[in-house]
Amino acid sequence: MGGEGWLFLFAVLMAAVLLFTMVFFIIMFSDLECDYINPIDLCNKLNQFVLPEMIAHAFLTLCFLLSGQWLAFLLNAPLVGYNVNKIMAKNHMYDATEIFRTLSGHKKESFIKLGFYLVSFFYYLYRMILALISESD
Amino acid sequence: MSQEIHLPQGWEARWDGQSNAYIYVEQSTGKSQWEVPTQPSYGSSPPPQQSAPSHRPGRRQYPTAQIQQVYGGGGYDNQPQQQHMAAPGYPDQGGAQQQQQPQYFTPGLGGHDAHQPAYGQQPQQPAYGGQQAPSYGQQGGYGGQQQQPVDQMANQFQQMNMGYGGQGQGQPQMQGQKQLHSIQTVNLIGMQPDVSGLDAPPPPYLLPPNASVTASPHVQPDPSYQRCTLTSMPTTQSLLNKSKLPLALVMAPYRSFRESDGDDPVPVIEDSVIARCRRCRAYINPFVTFIEGGNRWKCCMCGLSNEVPQLFDWNQAENKQADRWARKELNHSVVEFIAPTEYMVRPPQPPVYAFVIDVSQQAIQSGMVAVAARTILESLDNIPNADKRTKIAIIAVSTSLHFFSLPVGATEASMLVVSDLTDVFLPKPVDLLVNLTESRPAIESLLGKLSDMFQDSHTVGNALGSALQAAHQLIGKIGGKIIALTATLPTLGEGALKARDDPKLLGTSKESSLLNAASSFYKTFAIECSKQQVAVDMFLFSTSYTDVATLSCLPRYTAGQTYLYPGFNASRSEDAIKFATEFSKVLAMPIGLEAVIRVRASRGIRMSAFHGNFFIRSTDLLALPVVPTDQNYVIELQLEDDIKGSFVVLQTAILHTTCYGERRIRVITQAMPTTDSISELYGSADQIAIATYLTNKAVERSMSHSLDDARNTITNKLGDMLSVYKNHVTSSAGASAQLAVPDNLKLLPLLCCALVKHVGLREGASIPPDLRAYAQCLLTTLPCQSLIPYIHPRFYSLHNMPPEAGNPGDDGIITLPPALNLTSERLERHGLFLIEDGQNIFIWVGHEAVPRLIQDVFDLPSYGELTGGKTTLPLLENPFSQRVNNIVAKTRELRRGVYRPHVYVVKSDAEPALRSWALSLLVEDRMDHMSSYAQYLTTVKSKVGSNVSL
Repeated sequence: MGGEGWLFLFAVLMAAVLLFTMVFFIIMFSDLECDYINPIDLCNKLNQFVLPEMIAHAFLTLCFLLSGQWLAFLLNAPLVGYNVNKIMAKNHMYDATEIFRTLSGHKKESFIKLGFYLVSFFYYLYRMILALISESD
Repeated sequence: MSQEIHLPQGWEARWDGQSNAYIYVEQSTGKSQWEVPTQPSYGSSPPPQQSAPSHRPGRRQYPTAQIQQVYGGGGYDNQPQQQHMAAPGYPDQGGAQQQQQPQYFTPGLGGHDAHQPAYGQQPQQPAYGGQQAPSYGQQGGYGGQQQQPVDQMANQFQQMNMGYGGQGQGQPQMQGQKQLHSIQTVNLIGMQPDVSGLDAPPPPYLLPPNASVTASPHVQPDPSYQRCTLTSMPTTQSLLNKSKLPLALVMAPYRSFRESDGDDPVPVIEDSVIARCRRCRAYINPFVTFIEGGNRWKCCMCGLSNEVPQLFDWNQAENKQADRWARKELNHSVVEFIAPTEYMVRPPQPPVYAFVIDVSQQAIQSGMVAVAARTILESLDNIPNADKRTKIAIIAVSTSLHFFSLPVGATEASMLVVSDLTDVFLPKPVDLLVNLTESRPAIESLLGKLSDMFQDSHTVGNALGSALQAAHQLIGKIGGKIIALTATLPTLGEGALKARDDPKLLGTSKESSLLNAASSFYKTFAIECSKQQVAVDMFLFSTSYTDVATLSCLPRYTAGQTYLYPGFNASRSEDAIKFATEFSKVLAMPIGLEAVIRVRASRGIRMSAFHGNFFIRSTDLLALPVVPTDQNYVIELQLEDDIKGSFVVLQTAILHTTCYGERRIRVITQAMPTTDSISELYGSADQIAIATYLTNKAVERSMSHSLDDARNTITNKLGDMLSVYKNHVTSSAGASAQLAVPDNLKLLPLLCCALVKHVGLREGASIPPDLRAYAQCLLTTLPCQSLIPYIHPRFYSLHNMPPEAGNPGDDGIITLPPALNLTSERLERHGLFLIEDGQNIFIWVGHEAVPRLIQDVFDLPSYGELTGGKTTLPLLENPFSQRVNNIVAKTRELRRGVYRPHVYVVKSDAEPALRSWALSLLVEDRMDHMSSYAQYLTTVKSKVGSNVSL
């Protein structure tokens, strides 16, 4: 298996991990709505995952850039930009005092990200298979 | 609907005035009986008329009516034997009837209607003649248990008269009709607003007759406790959306009560019988229905039938039967239950006060420390300490933390200094937080010399954040209140802040960043405090920038309050008196501890957003470590489902520990009629509540977006409302020269106009960010009574006030002069005027004021001698001076709350800053580039017009 195959295998795994992170976020948000968890615990828990998620995604994007996978890179670049913008504005962390006011926005964002990771998961899978086929030829 | 429908052919019902029950007569034979002559299948197959939804409003009275009927009206009682005694002459069949009756109490059974005549139809039967009036008289006199609101009674008398007029039995039922608000449309363009209407009560809650089980006049809360932006509830969310009216509760549940206002103390239910719905956990209230002979009650919110607790009708103090209808929770909208141990996480904790006092050079020089220490010393007896458990701690802070050990029995305090600011620790495990009564000598001696102790220190710097952390460590185990007094910006340790008030930002869209917290420390620390039931009050004494926006975060999320004294200098007696008065009131405040607030509502209504000082712990639970008195909260409502039923109930419950060591639940119940008509919604809108709601929304918007956005939000919402009103209610589509508003909203445009020009939201680059942030704190926490004058100040003319003004009226209360419109047209060159907004009082002196006037009021020979600025009016030996002083004193105590306004003398031709400040309160005027009231109306009208074309 050549470099491209390995890269996309790695990407598939990363996308799966990110996918699960988003599912976790969404479950936590709906727990909050149903009053199974208090906002302080929720924010403490989720804030641990915010930066790792962003870094993992940025790292994946960087891998695409370095290996010259332009299409995959362009696919991911907007989200990286969005994340960087959020960190610059210092509102990437969940704030327990504001969480109920912003909950609907957070949920929406998590759902969009979930969809994005799902699409990219299948795209990476497709590219991986493509790479494997082209190698075996 | 007439009686005969339910009775078999040939039967007639007659009212027996003596036994207060119907007697049924078979017309052909003359045979009479007490039992209803119905077929056995009656209950299972109700006549079709009964399922008709048209007579909802009357239904709720029947259970009680039946109880009366069953027991001969002699008062509700469980024991039949006593009943017979209570109703002498009650025939023996009565017993049989009692046994037969319960089937009619089955919920949803159409049979209810069989008894409707008890109130509705009886007058329509001319046969009864003279018996009827006395029977009503008797009904009204059941030992104060009158079952109907008075207006309903009147209604019936009216009906009776009509019945006598020979209208016969085909007459439509008045009772079935809904009362509606009368809508009067008024035009605003070219009219001067009538400012006296600002004190008018909200539109009435036109509940269906007999919605309440008792006829007490207190079943609805006073608007000062709770009011709703609409006094009738729309039945669907789409109707609400279409109407563009906001739906929100405005409440101050822990309102203080002042005898001078005629406030009644909150009735307390001491027997700890707390009847709650099993499903929705609502507390029993005047709007529930008793069913099954009074053994069960049906929840007015979710409709579940619950058992009435066994001791509900039992007087535990005297060990005898009690009168259910006299129970306070069935007669009062606002009640307090004494909560049993199930409502406690821990035994009631004592009130705890930790004072964090800034002793840096600036604070000492301004005299703040001296005044604060003296005020605490003088207030030691007023701090809530009924059971001698109150604890107190004092921490002085400059560049290091100074703790004071106040052991029991000592007469001197010893100081312990901690200079490690990064990792705060307590230097001593005991004696830092001490019992106020036991360590009184040490506390008194410390407070007596606190200011002198630091007199010679020249430390510059303030480690407020670290000191707050230390105070939190100190009292965190118990919870309580941290009172922080600081004269400088916190510059050291945790939570250090920078002076970020860049004047270039003012007036730009970036200004809102100055209204948001600069450091996340104050938010995370607030969460820590809230968890441990600690509240923080901030007293800020700025001579320069102190970042009110950031520091006020702590009070905001811990349910405290921020107080700002700009340019404080204790050598000016006015400053010292103002601070000392307000501070001592804060200390003496009967606070509630460890509180949670939850609002419950009838099915279909959901609380969607919350505004005020608290921490939202879950979707509908507000946590307040300490509940201060007279703080306002706004809760937005949404309709999830369509609402059925003729009225809805909203119930606010605040579970708290009083400062006297009792766990209590204060319950405020409010019922609102429902409506599906948009014009009725407009007729029931409460302009004061809407203005309060808009204020909170605008302040929130100014922080999340920009001040410009906030102002536009207000104007757009107003425009939306008025265009819907124009198009859907007045049905006069198309352009017109008028701006139509319903009569009950006619002052809303004025309040909106005043709000966009308020110092908290005003456009302009000259407002210091501290003042703006503080104004926003006040806008979001003041209860309506103080908020409305804060937005729209009062303006009186003093030189030509009517003779009764300024003198005590018949009731001993000082009469105030008539309020004027806030426009400088009213200012006369020779006049003396007073403008007050509850925070400041301005006395405007015209430059042609006659020397006599100046002499009488200020004891100065002429206008030229007079100096403007903060002042205390001299009390002189002449009637005019006394009247003016009376008015100032009355103004200061006019409203609930701790604030004591300063008096400023404003000369009409001097001190441009002060003059323009006073003039900025005249909101109907044009000022700089802010529009006048007339121009504002034109703007709103153009929005109304543009919405039409869409």
